[in-house]
Amino acid sequence: MSFTGVEFAVFFPTVFLLYWVGPRRGASGRNWQNAILLLASVAFYATWSPRLLVVLTAAVATSFAAGVWLDARPTEGMDEAQAAIMRKKRKAIAVIAVIMQLGFLGLFKYAGFFSQSLNALLDAAGISDAMPVLRLALPLGISYTTLIQVGYLLEVYWERSPACRDPLAYSAFVAFFPQLIAGPIVRTRAMLPQYYERRALRTDDVAEGAASFLLGFAMKALVADWLSPNLVAPAFSNPGAYSAGALWIALAAYATQLFCDFAGYSLMAIGTGRLFGLTLPENFRYPFLSKSLPEFWRRWHISLNTWLFDYIFAPLTTGRSRFRGRVGAGFVVVFLASGLWHGPTWTFVLWGLSHGIAMAVHHAYDEWYKRRCRKDRRWVEARRSKPYGAAAWVLTQAFFLLTLVPFRSPGLRAAADFAAGLLGLGGGSGRVGHFGFMALFCAAFMVVFHSLQVGRGPALMERFRALPTPIRGVSYGLAMVFLLVFVPLGASTFIYAQF
Amino acid sequence: MTRADMRRLLIDWLDDKYHFGDAEAKIGDDEASFLDRGVLDSLGFVALVVYLEDKFRIKIELKLLNRENFDSVNKILDYVTAHGGGNA
Repeated sequence: MSFTGVEFAVFFPTVFLLYWVGPRRGASGRNWQNAILLLASVAFYATWSPRLLVVLTAAVATSFAAGVWLDARPTEGMDEAQAAIMRKKRKAIAVIAVIMQLGFLGLFKYAGFFSQSLNALLDAAGISDAMPVLRLALPLGISYTTLIQVGYLLEVYWERSPACRDPLAYSAFVAFFPQLIAGPIVRTRAMLPQYYERRALRTDDVAEGAASFLLGFAMKALVADWLSPNLVAPAFSNPGAYSAGALWIALAAYATQLFCDFAGYSLMAIGTGRLFGLTLPENFRYPFLSKSLPEFWRRWHISLNTWLFDYIFAPLTTGRSRFRGRVGAGFVVVFLASGLWHGPTWTFVLWGLSHGIAMAVHHAYDEWYKRRCRKDRRWVEARRSKPYGAAAWVLTQAFFLLTLVPFRSPGLRAAADFAAGLLGLGGGSGRVGHFGFMALFCAAFMVVFHSLQVGRGPALMERFRALPTPIRGVSYGLAMVFLLVFVPLGASTFIYAQF
Repeated sequence: MTRADMRRLLIDWLDDKYHFGDAEAKIGDDEASFLDRGVLDSLGFVALVVYLEDKFRIKIELKLLNRENFDSVNKILDYVTAHGGGNA
């Protein structure tokens, strides 16, 4: 079942009614809203793969149990010797619990990649088929649920958060169906307490949630799903047949498709969450306005990047780590991890490595520039000037576009062919086949969407939000009618669901 | 070292690393959030932690290593003071 499918149009209203009309708390004090969410999530998951529910259940059960164990053993009030033993025990349990979570992910997602890569290496040394290659079906959303649970375990281990002692609330927190397929990656401190409260139906939540869902649906079904078959897929499947100009258009179209697909999904998930009275974290903040790579990564897939920052980058580059203060090296490690998280292929490794190195280079440049600023304040003014901003924007966006070549290509060879084509070395002369009204509509959508964040855009949005509820309701209704008329239900699956 | 001395060092560091003389204006209020006012981004936060550890000879434990604990002048000075920083 997908957000854009016919089944969801039946599933969601049913769950919504049960959730708000049914009992909210039982006589035992149990939060029935969590029970309904969990049942709905299990049903949602089962439509994809009932067998793999076992994997999710095992992962949730072990992280829940480990959290309770870690929380029940604080070191305060012990003498130093006892505390040292307890610290060692806690560390061991935390490490085992995190390894178990990563082990689930490793087994299903990476075992095949590593055994294949090792075989290729051994093959070069004259030893063939030394390792059996595992090909397991990837459990839906495992990349997301793993990060949610590892984050939770670290929070409890570091005593930043108390453990959850309500298995129902914890299971709903990890497996809440809107975030299950492609995030956002929810965080313990912001999200878990919401599951302890009884949620009340508020008109603001309904209005904002519905608006968010509609916008996400439009981005996915109108823009992303049109671009993919018409401009993107043909060029990426046979780059040698197209001219350099056509390939640049296809690449820009892919950036738009990826954004509208993933940010669209995130908005639908956030909107669905709001309709259940839950506030999921923001995942995109107008990334195509960014004028530097660090800014880009603060605006794109925010929930993954803040996770990587808080649990890998910050501990790695501070404290007693050997990477202390080595920000550039920290970037390479984090972006390699990000690349591998996206998928077990060399194209994602190349993509992650490119961004890691570029972030390190940007950091070195930034430090160099600041030295100039300290000596002469004119350098500060130069950086604030419009030409500097325009050049920085072009460089940032061009770099992001170019790194989408390995991100989208099926292999390194195909990526090299596409890159050669961009430089006019591919030998093809084909033109883009469908460069008409819809292509212009998609481009205009991106421009308008991002324009609402600059100049008078935010004020206009505020004025719209301040309109009386009936007027906003009518506009949402009209938008829904428009979508129902022009967009067939059952759009394609989401790109980030495959990660 | 007094709280005012520590504050001066912090402002000097922010000026030297990020704001080149504008740090005081950017901060505005010692209670204001660094993130909200654009005083420090997430990378700046990491640099700040390394600076505080080195300058004030304190150790910031992993469990306290999150941005909320260092998101304003007052929060930073409270943390440094509570952990014996600035005594050297």
